[in-house]
This record gives sequence, structure tokens and C-alpha cells, in this order.
Amino acid sequence: MQTPIAIRAENISKTFHISEDSHNTVKHRLFNLFNPPRRRQLEAVKPMSFEIGKGECIGLIGRNGCGKSTLVKLLAGVYPATTGKIETNGTTLLLQLGIGMSHELTARENIYVSSSVLGLRVKEIDAIFESIVEFAELREFVDTKIKYFSSGMAARLGFSIAVNAGADIMFLDEIFAVGDLKFQEKAEAVLESSWIRGRTVIMVSHTMSTIEKYCHRTAYLSQGNLVFLGDTTEAIRLYLRDNEQLAPPGEGSLSGPPAMFARR
Amino acid sequence: MDMANAFPSGLISPHKLERLWLLARIEFKLRYYENKLGLFWALLKPVMDLIIYYVVFQVILRQNVPNFASYLFIGLIIWNFFVESTSGTIQILSTKKYLYEYSNMNKMEIYVSTLMSNTIGLFFNFVMFLIFYNFFENKSMGPSLENFWILPIFANLFILSLGLSLILSNIYILAKDINQIWQVAVSFLFFLSPIFYKLSTFLDHLPGFDYGNPMAGIIINARRVMMQHLPPDMSLLEWNFFYAIAILMLGFLLLDKFGSKAAEKL
Repeated sequence: MQTPIAIRAENISKTFHISEDSHNTVKHRLFNLFNPPRRRQLEAVKPMSFEIGKGECIGLIGRNGCGKSTLVKLLAGVYPATTGKIETNGTTLLLQLGIGMSHELTARENIYVSSSVLGLRVKEIDAIFESIVEFAELREFVDTKIKYFSSGMAARLGFSIAVNAGADIMFLDEIFAVGDLKFQEKAEAVLESSWIRGRTVIMVSHTMSTIEKYCHRTAYLSQGNLVFLGDTTEAIRLYLRDNEQLAPPGEGSLSGPPAMFARR
Repeated sequence: MDMANAFPSGLISPHKLERLWLLARIEFKLRYYENKLGLFWALLKPVMDLIIYYVVFQVILRQNVPNFASYLFIGLIIWNFFVESTSGTIQILSTKKYLYEYSNMNKMEIYVSTLMSNTIGLFFNFVMFLIFYNFFENKSMGPSLENFWILPIFANLFILSLGLSLILSNIYILAKDINQIWQVAVSFLFFLSPIFYKLSTFLDHLPGFDYGNPMAGIIINARRVMMQHLPPDMSLLEWNFFYAIAILMLGFLLLDKFGSKAAEKL
């Protein structure tokens, strides 16, 4: 069966150059012309190629610091890739804790701005405004600035905008981590509903039950390498084995970029 | 991001215009309605500047420029737009990160909407200037058809400011202290512009600066068309457009080269 391609990644990789001294002022650059900064290279995502079909729901699992979020940002076009080429067909939306919303704006303004950025006309936003507020359960706080929101409230708003405004390709990076139980149930209901059909979803999660339930295929990443992409059960087995091997019993996290710790 | 994305080729579609207007309005509201005085601030700022320079140059130094208050007024509102659109946007890729870090939004829209918001402020000030010059200035020459030349002159100012905004904010990704450097450059430029000097004094003592400093030409021409019933100095206008477009092109180039790194560096 030949499904249309939503994302094609060819040999993509991402290397971060982390300079150890602050080399980001004109003064510092001038005084250190012949003294190049000490740089550490961090290969966050090592070269990998894959294709994701339209309408697929792909899981992305791996331990903290394995490159999941970086990979998602590469695919969403937020970071430029160091090597390789990414082709995406359709609008993209990256949903991650705390991004995509201005903390200086109210919920109402954020709804309008975000939905507009996602390609909706103001009239269309007017039409779905109520359902966004309703779904996020933020009726009383519509005109409150996001900076006064709890992280759960902000995440709910972000998810609600995403659900109602939508994009062809959605990257969901640990979105179930902060909502309360009731909201998580609602969010999962969305994933089960017809909403998800026709959309391409790439889901990053540490909650294996969610991955198992919704993902057609799952990618397992380890230290920046794409170790496996295919059958979800097999990917989860590899991931669990990795956790058992490397981590002391009970906890399995290396120090990595701050991530959400969702353990249920 | 490829070159096609960096150019505002697709900015004209009604949907994008609608979004630009939405972003500009919100930006404007954020700037002025967050404080107690609200929109009044937008009007108060040039009036306060005006009083200061009026006292210094007309009362103390006795420059004897006709209609000096209006002369200052138009110079200052143009200058304030320039400063707000350049100094005020150096950190734009950092403060507006929330707009581009979750979608593949064209960064040009962020710049254009911010400058549009500044344009709303300039518009209010300009209306104030018109009222002041035409109704309160004693020796006013009144309105004339030449006044419409202000539109291309403003377009020139917009392009120049946009270009510099792109250049500065993209340098900021690599060198944070461009902020301080530009502050110094701006105060230098301020004194090298004919904002409060008599034009003849400016031209005598700083020969060539009417061409060398792009802001000087814009201010000189704005006064000609608004206050002197004269058409703009065409060679100056052409030169200024050339200057502004060259700077804008350099800005596009920098955005194309460094803009995509903004998400990870800022």
C-alpha cells in the first residue's frame, strides 16, 4: 500500500556547538580574535533517515537526553539540521510544555495569535473560540495573562488550541505530563476520536501505555541514534531493556536537558 | 530556512495581512495599555521631548527657526519611530520566540507586524502634528497638496527601519552587546541629524551629511512637504530610497543566514 509521505528525512543530524566561555559579545570576540573559543560538540541527533506516511501516529521513545526533543524540533523546522534534508508536506505544529504562547498575553490573545499562526482566519477563530475555552476549562481566566497560569493550565490551553485549530502534522512532546487526571482523560479521548484521523502525529512520551495504545509505529532512540523504527511492542521492549541495563533499579534518568518526568 | 522563506513575497495574501494586523494590534496594546497612562504615553513622549528642545534651542540659544515647535515636532516623531523600530527590535527574535518556535511561521511577519505597530503610534503622533501645525502654529502655511509626498517618505523610513531592524536583531543572535553599541550609534546619529538645528547651520557645518545620514534626508524632505509647500528634494529622496533598499537587502541576507539559528541560540 502506498500512502502519501508526510515527512521524509534523509540523513539528518544535529550537532550543537556549546562554547564553554561566553563568546557572544562583540567585545569578547574582538579581544579573543586569535584565541578561538573552546567548544564542545554535542551530537544530539546522529545521522538518520526515515519516512513517515500521512495519517500515521508515530511514537518516539528513549531515555532522557537521547535526542527525542531535538529530533522533534528538527522535523518541525524549529532547528535547522546540521546535515541532511527534511521534507514536510503540510502545516506543522509543535506542542511542548510552555512553548508557543506568550506569557505577556492573555489566554484570549494567545488563542487568536496561535490559531492565526496555524493558518486560521479571524472569523474561523471566532467560530472555534468557545470550544477552545471550553475544552481547556479556562472560562474564568480568558482575560488573564498566561504568566499567572499554572503549568497545567498553560498546557491545557496549548493542547486545546492544537486540538481545535490543528495542523496537518502534529508533534506532541510530553503533552500529557502536566495535566490533571481529568484533563488527561479528555486528551486521550481526543486521541481516540476522529480528530486524529487524517493527521500525522508524532508523539513523544514516557508513558508506555499511551504509546502502546495509539502509535502505529514507534521509534526508539538511544544516545542520538535511531536504534529502531517499527513495531510499537518491539520498540517498547527495547526501551525497557535499555532502562533495566543502564539504570539502577527504580530510577532511570541521566542528567539531560530538562524534560518532563511522567511516571504513572 | 531557504531564501524564498526569508523574502516577504507571500506577505500580500489577505490571510497574512489579517494576521499581521492582529499581531500589530496586540503589540500596540501591549506597549501602551499596560501602563497607567495608556495611549496617552504615545502622545506624551514627543510632547515632552518637544518642550525640552524648544526651551534649549529657541528660548536659550535663540536659533530663530520659523515655526520651530512644528519643525521640531515632525523631526522628533520621525526620529522616535526610527529609534523604536531599530533599538526597540534588537531583541525581537528573543522576545517573540513564542511565535516561531512551534510552527514554521515566516520570521519576516514578526518584523513587519512590529513595525506596523510602531506605525500606528506614528500615525497618532502625525495627526497631532497636523492639528498643531494647521491650527495652533502662528505662521503656519496651512495644508497643501505637497503634503501627500509624506507617504513615499514614510515608506522610505519604514524600509530603512525594517532593514536596520533585521540587521541588528540578527547580529544580536551572535553578539549580544550589539544592543549597547547601537545605543551609542543612535545618539551619535541623533546629533548628526537636523532634528533641532537650523537646516542651514546643519548643512554648513556638516556638509554631505544630508546624503551621508539617511535619517537627515528623510527629515529634511518631510519638512519640505509638510511645512514649506515644497516638493521633496528628488535627488535626496532617490538616494534615500537606494540607501534604504540596500540596507533592507543586507537585512534579508542576514536573516537568511542567521535567522534559522535563533531558536537554538536565544
